Amino acid sequence: MSVNGSRVADAFTDGRTALWALVGLFLFLLEAGAVLNFVVSLTIDGLLAIPGVDAVGFLTAVENAVREIPTLLSRETIPNQGYFDGSGYEGTFLGLSPAMAWAFRATLVYLYAFAAFGWGVWGYRIYRREYRAADWTPRDDVFDRFRGHKWGIFGLVIVFMFVTMAVFAPALGPTTVDQNMRNSYGHEIDYWDSDSGSVETILVGDANLDSLSQGNDQNVEPWTYDDYGRFHPFGTMQDGSDLFTFLVVGSRISLVIGVLSVALSASIAATLALTSAYYKGRVDLSMVLVSDAVMAMPQLLLLIMLTTVLRESWINEVYSGGFLLALIFAFTGWTYMWRSIRGPALQISEREWIDAARSFGQRPTTIMRKHMLPYVTGYLLIYGSMTLGGAIISIAGLSYLGLGVAPPTPEWGRAVNLGQDYVRTGSWHISLIPGILITLVVTGFNALGDGIRDAIDPQSDSAGGETAGAGGGA
Amino acid sequence: MSDTLLEVENLRTVFHTDKETIHAVDGVSFDVQRGETVGLVGESGSGKSVTARSVLGLVEEPGVIEEGSIEFCGDELVGGNWDEHRGDIAIVFQDPMNSLNPVYTVGNQIKEALRIHQGLRGQAATDAAIELLEDVGIPDAARRVSEYPHQFSGGMRQRAVIAIALACDPDLLVCDEPTTALDVTIQAQILELLDELQREEDLGVLFITHDMGVIEETTDRVNVMYAGEFVESAPVEELFDDPKHPYTKGLLASIPGRTAGGDRLPTIEGEVPTSTSEPTECRFAPRCPHAFDACDEVHPERIAVGDPDADHETACLLYDDEFEESPPEDGVVADGGETA
Ligand code: SF4
Repeated sequence: MSVNGSRVADAFTDGRTALWALVGLFLFLLEAGAVLNFVVSLTIDGLLAIPGVDAVGFLTAVENAVREIPTLLSRETIPNQGYFDGSGYEGTFLGLSPAMAWAFRATLVYLYAFAAFGWGVWGYRIYRREYRAADWTPRDDVFDRFRGHKWGIFGLVIVFMFVTMAVFAPALGPTTVDQNMRNSYGHEIDYWDSDSGSVETILVGDANLDSLSQGNDQNVEPWTYDDYGRFHPFGTMQDGSDLFTFLVVGSRISLVIGVLSVALSASIAATLALTSAYYKGRVDLSMVLVSDAVMAMPQLLLLIMLTTVLRESWINEVYSGGFLLALIFAFTGWTYMWRSIRGPALQISEREWIDAARSFGQRPTTIMRKHMLPYVTGYLLIYGSMTLGGAIISIAGLSYLGLGVAPPTPEWGRAVNLGQDYVRTGSWHISLIPGILITLVVTGFNALGDGIRDAIDPQSDSAGGETAGAGGGA
Repeated sequence: MSDTLLEVENLRTVFHTDKETIHAVDGVSFDVQRGETVGLVGESGSGKSVTARSVLGLVEEPGVIEEGSIEFCGDELVGGNWDEHRGDIAIVFQDPMNSLNPVYTVGNQIKEALRIHQGLRGQAATDAAIELLEDVGIPDAARRVSEYPHQFSGGMRQRAVIAIALACDPDLLVCDEPTTALDVTIQAQILELLDELQREEDLGVLFITHDMGVIEETTDRVNVMYAGEFVESAPVEELFDDPKHPYTKGLLASIPGRTAGGDRLPTIEGEVPTSTSEPTECRFAPRCPHAFDACDEVHPERIAVGDPDADHETACLLYDDEFEESPPEDGVVADGGETA
């Protein structure tokens, strides 16, 4: 313990580490408001759904307080929603055109995310050079191999862009879900009416009605302004709302459900795989039976059934039904992951350090956690990353069918569905853009998984894990 | 307090696989006294490692101890009572790279055992770990305690493994081929270390190896194991001076330097059979240069041979008066190798 203490003290006397910490603090302060906002609103979503908990007053107070904290990458700091007043733009950032102001903010968001990523890498480098006792560990090789894996890097880039999109969803959209979709008649905008040559005011809902994308005669295509001076990077949807805003916010729900379900199924899979590898024999056999039984259930049917049965319950309210989806995905999805990591877990259980630990009386749970888990986390990452892609596509698929995430919460699959009548018209973008995004993101997650797999286990060209140990023998 | 640490009686460990039942250990009996080193010698596949694992309660499914008793300090262990004696019996495995977890520092792993058995944590545990590393002869222990296994050489790793075993403060040390994976010079150092520790701590040692040379140097008593059974047991000098069983003779003949003349070492042809059923014959018969008719029909029992004071037993029909063939002249050894 004292060793660690003195290291922390050293860190601040050492220039490089101090600089690193300062840069980190600076980056955090730029976005402190947004981070807290995200955490608070997630907690609120969670708490509100649980029956019997009444903390609304307190929570809204917290929410408002948090909202006051200034952040760099917010719509307030770099506004893009202004109007033309005949000579220039009013209300936009530095008087730029709305398109430019929006593009500037979006670029800044990605630059910031990139900086944060770089900061993390930098920190790891410092740790590796200055603080880690060993100058080489097997993990270093894994990183080096990943760096040289082009397909994996491509996946990482896509996943990074997607995660950034989800995390900064509120700042990225040219408008907000509340103003543009949920409550469009509760907001007004000013615009330049070229006929009368003056600035007029209109309700957003009415403006949307004049910006529909429903085919060749009525269409706001990508990268254009509508009649009310609003810029639409991806065009508008069939009801006149902004497609980009819809997709950005939809990415967040996809990511949250995906991560939640994968995390849940990974923990179920890891626990069961380690248990069955440690005890083998009958325990293992019974788990094979259980997982086979779960696998035999048709996932889609189960999903449809459960979402229908539980439609009225409180659990379906959490996160627009996303939480329920995550639970169902986790419950039906762990079997595949369990199958994949059972092999490696069995292999590890044959290692002598496991026997050594058992011989000196270490508890089984500790042996599993300390001596076996580190060896399957790599596999969890691989399969987790691939399953995440699968989960995202399933959520999109369900929303496409009108199940899954409840409207009006944006979801990519629903955008595909809403636009499918106009695919062969000028409004092709409504379906095509989310479709491409889904494909890209799923491919990205799979590529990332491939990259991690090749980095961790360079020998396995195809999906391995079949080399399970065969038990005792002299 | 009795001086008998470990008493194994008629131990049978079998593995139930889908196809067959393998009798890996088939009725062995031996004991280990405090301060004594008992050797188990045999080829790979003879069941000596399973014997060691049985003693430690590490036999896993589909293996099971079907019969017999293992008493430690008078307490019966068979039936899952190992937990009370965890740490009293420690094990040193063959491959030190494999018995140290590469993701934790050496110190971390010693401390794990120290915490369980001596309740030490934090700085006290670190100090104790450094002390243990010094005891097993690791130079600069204070620095090396925070290094990873891959930073240690093979011999150093095995020393670290021994330090972990000692952290449990054991009474009985089971060494499962502890020097096989090491260079010859390092082997000698490790054997010396084990010998020293045994004398200092008055440990009982169960020493498992396939190397007769190591057996001669380290053990007090030897059990020769073949296909799950003890074919010969004797004090070490008696065994080397007056081996009775043809298998023992073959093993001794294959030690370099023991056979006079000839430019090739004699070897025993063939390999250890897997025992899947109750024996009705001598299991060594297919490879035995002295096999005769009865060997295929009668399973030899252990009988006392040699010096009556020496507690020397063997299981070979050659020494059983009921059967006709007489024992071979002493000094004549099996030499299948030269005709190969
Ligand atoms: S019993 Fe027969 S086959 Fe077995 S060792 Fe003795 S002589 Fe050889």
